Amino acid sequence: MHIGDRSKTFFVFALLSINGSVLWGQSIEDVTPKMVDGRPNLNGIWQVLNTANYDLQGHTARPAMALMPTTRSDEPPGTNRATPGALPLSELRSLGAVGGVPAGQGVVVGNIIPYQPWAAAKQIENAENWLTRDPEIKCFLPGVPRATYMPYPFQILQGANQILIAYEFAGATRTIHMSDVGRSPSPTWMGWSVGHWEGETLVVDVTGFNGQTWFDRSGNFHSEALHVVERYTPVSPHHLIYEATIEDSNVFTKPWKIRMPLYRRLESNKQLLEYECVEFVEQLMYGQLGLNDPATEQRNE
Amino acid sequence: MASSVIVAQNLMGEDAISSWESPRTPWGDPDIEGIWRYEATIPLERPDRLQDRAFLTDEEVATIALVEEERAMARLNGLDGVDVGKITLEESPIRYNEYNSFWQDHGRPRQVYRQTSLISDPPNGKLPYTDDAREAVVRSTARYGVGPYESYLDPDTGERCLTDGAAIMMWQGPNGGHNRIVQSPGYVTIVHEEYQDRRIIPIGGQPHRGVKQWLGDSVGRWEDDVLIVETINFLDKTNYEWANIWSRSSDALRLVERFERVDPQTIEYTLTVEDPKTFTRPWTAVIPIFKLPDSTHIFEYACHEGNYALSNILSAGRAEAAND
Repeated sequence: MHIGDRSKTFFVFALLSINGSVLWGQSIEDVTPKMVDGRPNLNGIWQVLNTANYDLQGHTARPAMALMPTTRSDEPPGTNRATPGALPLSELRSLGAVGGVPAGQGVVVGNIIPYQPWAAAKQIENAENWLTRDPEIKCFLPGVPRATYMPYPFQILQGANQILIAYEFAGATRTIHMSDVGRSPSPTWMGWSVGHWEGETLVVDVTGFNGQTWFDRSGNFHSEALHVVERYTPVSPHHLIYEATIEDSNVFTKPWKIRMPLYRRLESNKQLLEYECVEFVEQLMYGQLGLNDPATEQRNE
Repeated sequence: MASSVIVAQNLMGEDAISSWESPRTPWGDPDIEGIWRYEATIPLERPDRLQDRAFLTDEEVATIALVEEERAMARLNGLDGVDVGKITLEESPIRYNEYNSFWQDHGRPRQVYRQTSLISDPPNGKLPYTDDAREAVVRSTARYGVGPYESYLDPDTGERCLTDGAAIMMWQGPNGGHNRIVQSPGYVTIVHEEYQDRRIIPIGGQPHRGVKQWLGDSVGRWEDDVLIVETINFLDKTNYEWANIWSRSSDALRLVERFERVDPQTIEYTLTVEDPKTFTRPWTAVIPIFKLPDSTHIFEYACHEGNYALSNILSAGRAEAAND
């Protein structure tokens, strides 16, 4: 059985067990929302519940994204005094448990990202330099698929002929072109998205990237040759399965996939809000560049 | 309330207003989808020399039309921004259009109207600034492009890639004034190219969210075929420099906007601005916004990601201080 089908079966089973008498005998197509013209209706505010933005792959909990280098003692365990475990970088230490990284089982199908050897080394180097390199820290547009699984909601705005995906983080907005619009005229952060329907699934082909975004806080990365194919499939009134196939022959040895559920935000009057983070990072990015730093009121030397 | 009809006199000399049956979305709302942009010659405020005149004469209209043709032709012939930018400020809706006017190419002559100002109320066509706000305008104008630029707080909110404000979004943005309107059941969404300003407007009866934002907290409703949007809960950002004092975000600001599609190619956009911290009374502007071909794209603006100007301005400020 295809894994996507298994996910669908799981959700229908879950629904049946809650509302068995209502849904008995109905297919997924019967219980997912539809537009007036009968097409699937993906409208809504969606969010993931996972740790993919920390690390796409399975990972253990740790006290911070950036840790001090540690060296393990060569002596037999217990023969000497205790040594420290992982310690956050000094810039992060005062955050305590708030700065910790929750464990996660990962969203990569098979849990392996098939890097070319040089790229595997580059990912490790990226991770070691997370604090200065991760574009998220600078409030840069997050790219695709990362925008999907950041810890912020996003809204699908599906009209008769047009679809927008509006993300809360950095106010990023994608237009999903539902007709042939040719290639992107220029490289971009959020890519150039062309969509079509395959049955119940919205399939979005994304190209035209600039190679400057990351996949997560662990330094997983790509080049400007990135090609992402996203699939948004309704599996219940309140769940989509999101799948993205990632292809980049400059960086990976073969295409690979991530998969995760998207959950509808069910709060009444839930609306997407602003997260205008440019203002939050100006002191970090420009404080040292001017004559004066407004944070310290000191003249820069 | 302002006159509900813009007096149009385009180059063909025809009145643009006629009875118009708006198309509908599949769920029955009036359809205002598409890419829209303000492309007319009417300035926001009435130029001083026109005093009490609400309308131009036919001769004046013909002269402006000629200038528009010549400017468009000059651009097609590759004249650079300095040459093209010699039109006076008061004739242009684009402030300081001598700067980078290469970026501001409308691509075709702008539409010429008889109105002498977009502002229809007060009747003198002028912004009813408070004394304090007028002083802020004088200061802002004097320092624009001059400085001092000692920290990232000295450039205006636009130069910092934040926004130029909600009141300006629908009809300005010289480096990207296009707006994409997308309608989905229960929402009208407007995406503005410059700064990627975005408003997702819930339609029909929801209360305000109550969370203060740069672009406020909008709720919309259809009255007949007119979309009415009321926006409150703006953040108080009056401590920042703004390109226009009149479009700054203040916690006393309240916007009421009307979107009426008066013909296939035109939305009559009526903006009423109320902000006792900036104005002595509410003011209203009636602004024609034009539909661009469906093949028009809104491109990624990514302003902050490539804001080299900001670091260059700051390093120039330091170099200047070191040379003093």
